Amino acid sequence: MSTFIENLVNAKLRNMKNMNNIYEVGHVSKVKDYILEVVGLEAVGFYERVVIANHSVGYVTAIGKNSVKVALLQRTNAIYVGDEVVTTGFDFCAMYSKAAIGHIVDIFGEDRLLGEKFENLKPYMIETPAIPIMERGEVSRPFYTGIAGIDLIYPIGYGQRQLIIGDKKTGKTQIAVDAIVNQKDRNVICIYIAVNKTKKNIRELYDSLMRKGAMEYTLILAAFNDDEPPVSFFTPYAGLSIAESYMREGQDVLVVIDDLKAHADIHREISLLSDKVPGRDAYPPDIFYTHSRLLEKGCQHKDGGSITILPIVETRGGDITDYISTNIISITDGQLVLSRKSFEKGLKPAINYGLSVSRLGGAVQDKEMKKLGAVVRRKFLSYLETKEVYQLANVDEMSPEMQQSLKEGEQLQERLLQYKFSPRSADEIMRDFKEVVGKEL
Amino acid sequence: MAEVCVGKIISVSELNITVLLTENKVKIRDILYVYNKGQKIEFEVAEEDGEVISAIPFQSVIGLKKGLDVFKAEKGLEIQYNDEILGKVFDSYGSLLDENTIEEEKKRNVYARNLSLEEINLNGGILWTGIKVLDFFAPMQKGFKMGLLGGAGVGKTVLIKELIHNVYTGLNSNSVFVGVGERSREGKELYDEMSEAGLLDKMAVVFGQMGENSAARSKAIFSGLTLAEYLRDEKNQDVLLFIDNIYRYVQAMSEINAELSRIPIENGYPANIASAVSDVEERINSTEKGSITSFQAIYIPADDTTDQAVQTITTHLDGQIVLDRKVAEKGLYPAVDVFNTTSKLIDIEKIGERHYYLVEEVLRYYSRYRELEEIIAVLGIEELSAADTNVFYRTRMLRNYFTQPMFVAENYTGIKGEFVAIDDILDDVEDILSGKCDGVDESNFLFIGKYHGNKKDK
Repeated sequence: MSTFIENLVNAKLRNMKNMNNIYEVGHVSKVKDYILEVVGLEAVGFYERVVIANHSVGYVTAIGKNSVKVALLQRTNAIYVGDEVVTTGFDFCAMYSKAAIGHIVDIFGEDRLLGEKFENLKPYMIETPAIPIMERGEVSRPFYTGIAGIDLIYPIGYGQRQLIIGDKKTGKTQIAVDAIVNQKDRNVICIYIAVNKTKKNIRELYDSLMRKGAMEYTLILAAFNDDEPPVSFFTPYAGLSIAESYMREGQDVLVVIDDLKAHADIHREISLLSDKVPGRDAYPPDIFYTHSRLLEKGCQHKDGGSITILPIVETRGGDITDYISTNIISITDGQLVLSRKSFEKGLKPAINYGLSVSRLGGAVQDKEMKKLGAVVRRKFLSYLETKEVYQLANVDEMSPEMQQSLKEGEQLQERLLQYKFSPRSADEIMRDFKEVVGKEL
Repeated sequence: MAEVCVGKIISVSELNITVLLTENKVKIRDILYVYNKGQKIEFEVAEEDGEVISAIPFQSVIGLKKGLDVFKAEKGLEIQYNDEILGKVFDSYGSLLDENTIEEEKKRNVYARNLSLEEINLNGGILWTGIKVLDFFAPMQKGFKMGLLGGAGVGKTVLIKELIHNVYTGLNSNSVFVGVGERSREGKELYDEMSEAGLLDKMAVVFGQMGENSAARSKAIFSGLTLAEYLRDEKNQDVLLFIDNIYRYVQAMSEINAELSRIPIENGYPANIASAVSDVEERINSTEKGSITSFQAIYIPADDTTDQAVQTITTHLDGQIVLDRKVAEKGLYPAVDVFNTTSKLIDIEKIGERHYYLVEEVLRYYSRYRELEEIIAVLGIEELSAADTNVFYRTRMLRNYFTQPMFVAENYTGIKGEFVAIDDILDDVEDILSGKCDGVDESNFLFIGKYHGNKKDK
C-alpha cells in the first residue's frame, strides 16, 4: 500500500517539475448572488471550470487585471468571502451520455428523476463554433408535424427553425409536443429543452410523452427554476451541442426550446448583475447574438443529418412586435403565431394564419402538397380578409364569386380544426382539403 | 518574417482583450495575435490607453489566459484586390469560404479613405427593376442608395433576391453581395441559386452571418466595400452592391461598444453611431470611373421606425422602400407601404408629368380608401356616395394590381415571376383610375404581371 502512495506522490512531484497539472488556489473576495469575484488566480483560462470550497462549482466569465469573475453553476452550501477556489485545468463543458435518451437530465449528466449520474458521460463543449456556411445543404425535406395548418399552409422542413409564438395558454407547447409525438417511427431524435419551466410542467410533459410512447426517442434536458441562473442560460447551448453531435453522425434531430423569452430574461439578469451596459428594454446589446448563434445551429447538413428547431416565445397581450420577439422572428425561418382570440373561440390549433409565415414555403413540401397548400393559403387568407371588410354587407347582394369564396373559406376553416394528439397523415390532409378546392388544382 | 512580441495579455472577456505593451508601436486597427493551445487567435486594436490597449478578438477566446505573449501582424485587415474576386465567397476577414484558391496575391487594406466632394459623380440613368410597385412609387437611378426597410419576416430578403435577379440581367455588370448578420441558410441558398443561374461568376460575395461574433459582423461590410471599390475604380464598372443587412453592422458595433464599457446612447447604441454609419455610407458613391448602385436592407428593431440606428442610416439614402406587416398580413406581396415608399426621382422634371401625376392620384385614392375603411366598418358599403364607392373599389383593384408574382418566390406562390415594363404599368394604372376596369372582379388583379383585361392587347 505504501508503494502506491509513494507512486502517487512521485507522480505529483514529477508533474510539478514539468509545470503540469498544478492546481492554482485563489480566494473568494466578493459574493453577489451567483457571481463571485475571486483573487489570486493568475493562470486560469477563460471559461475554465473552478471548484469553490470543495463543494460548489463555477466557471470563469471574465479575467480582470486583479481578479477574476466566476459564475456559479452548482451551490450545495453557503459560500463565504475567503473560501478557497481551485482551478481544474478543464474548460467548462456539459456532460452527456447517449444512454440518457428517454430521461429527464440536466447539463451535468444527472438523471433528474432518479438523482443519479449516468455512466460513460462525455464532455460536450457549450459553445461550438458556428456551422460553416459551405457545410449547409438545402432545406427541402418535409418534416411532418401532423397538424394540417402547419403541414399544408406553413410547412416545416428538416433543418428549419420555426418559431412558435403566442400568449400564455394558447397551446404553444402543445404544438411542439404534437410534433414530437408525430415523429414516432420516423427515426428522429427529439430534444426538449426546458428553460425556467416549473417542475410540475416538466413532470406533466414527461408523463404525457411517456403515455404516447414518445419518450423512447426523446430527451428532456431541463433547467429548473431553482437551478442557478447560469445553468438555465447554458442549457439551450448544451442541448444544441448535443444535437450537433448527433447531426454530424447523420441523424435527424428535432429540438424544442421552451422558451426563449425566459432565456432572454435570464441573460439580462446575469448581464446586469455582472455590471454590463444595458441596451433596449435593459437587455444587454448582445441579446440578438445570444439567440442568433444558438438558432443558427439549426440546419440541414450537407452530409445528411439535420437539426430542426422549434423555439417557443411567450408574448404579452398578443404583441409580437416587442424587442425579443422581433429579434427572434428575424433569426428563424418563419413563425407560427398563436392567437388568444382563436383559442377562446375554440378554433384550435389557435394559429393566426395572417401573421404566421414560413420563409421556406413550398420548398419543403412535396409537389402535390405544395400545389394544394398554395391554393388553400391564398383562398383562406383572402377569405379572412374579405370576411372582415364585408362583415356588415348583405350576403345576398354580393357577387356570386364572392359568395362562393366565403362558403369555401368556411369549409377550409372547419377542416383546419384539430385537437391535440390527433395527428393527420399527409394523405389525410390532402384528401380533406381536396374536397374543398380540388377542382382548382 | 520573425514574429514581433509586443506585450502580454492582462485581462480577458468575451469580446475584449487588454494587453500590456512592452513595445509602443501599436496603433488602432492593427492586428495582434496570440497562440492558445496551438490555435492562432487574432484581435484588432480598438483603444489605446498609455501602455494598455484594448482589442476585439476575431475568434472565440475560450481557454485564453493572462500572461500570454501577444504578437503583432505585419499588416492590418486586408482583402483581395484583383480580378479573381469574382465568383468567390469570402468571410469577413478576407479568407475564402469555398474551395477555390486565389493565385494572384494582390491585397488591399479594407479601411480606405473616403471620397472627396470633387470625385463624387451624380449623373446616372434610370434603372427599371420590373417590379411594378417599386418602379411606380420609387424608381431607381444608377448610383442611388435605396433602403429596404421592414420588420422581421415581411419579405425583405425575397425582394432583394428578386432585385438581384431583375436588375442584374438588365445592367449586365458585376455585383457584390455583402451578408451582414443574416441567416446562414439564406446565404447558402443565395450562393446555390446564383451558381445554378450561372450568375455567380459575375459576383463577389462576403459573409459575416448571424452565427458569428460581433467582430465578424462588423467587419464584413468593410471587406465587401473594398471589393466593390475595386470593380468601380480599377475595372471602371457600374457596380451593384447589395447589403443585407446594414442594421446588423450597427448592432454589432453596439455589442463591441458595450464590451469596451463605453457609455451608450438610447437603446444601447454606441455614442459614435453617426460616424460609424458615415464610415460606411460615404464610401458608397459613384465617380467618373464608375458607379455603385446599392440596395441596403434595413432591419427595424421592434417594428420601431423611429429607432436611432434606422434614422441614422436613412439620412444617407436616396430613396426607401418600406415593407409593412399590415400589408403582409393581408397576403399582398411585395408588402409595400406606399405612403412611406419614396425616391428622389419622384420629381416632375425627372420622370415626366404623366408618371408624376399618376403617383399623386393613386396616393390620393389610397389615403381616401384608408378613411373609407373606417367608415365602412361602422356603416357598411351601401352608405357610400357614388364617388367614394368608385374610390373604394378602384383602390382595392390597385392594391391587388401592385402585388406581383416574383421569379424567386415561385416556391411560395406557385406562380411564375413576371417582369413588367413601366409603360404597361402606367397604362394599367390609368385604366383602373379612369374606370375602364370598373365591374371587373378585384381578384383578377391579384398576382399578375401587366393587366390585359378590357383593353386591346399591345
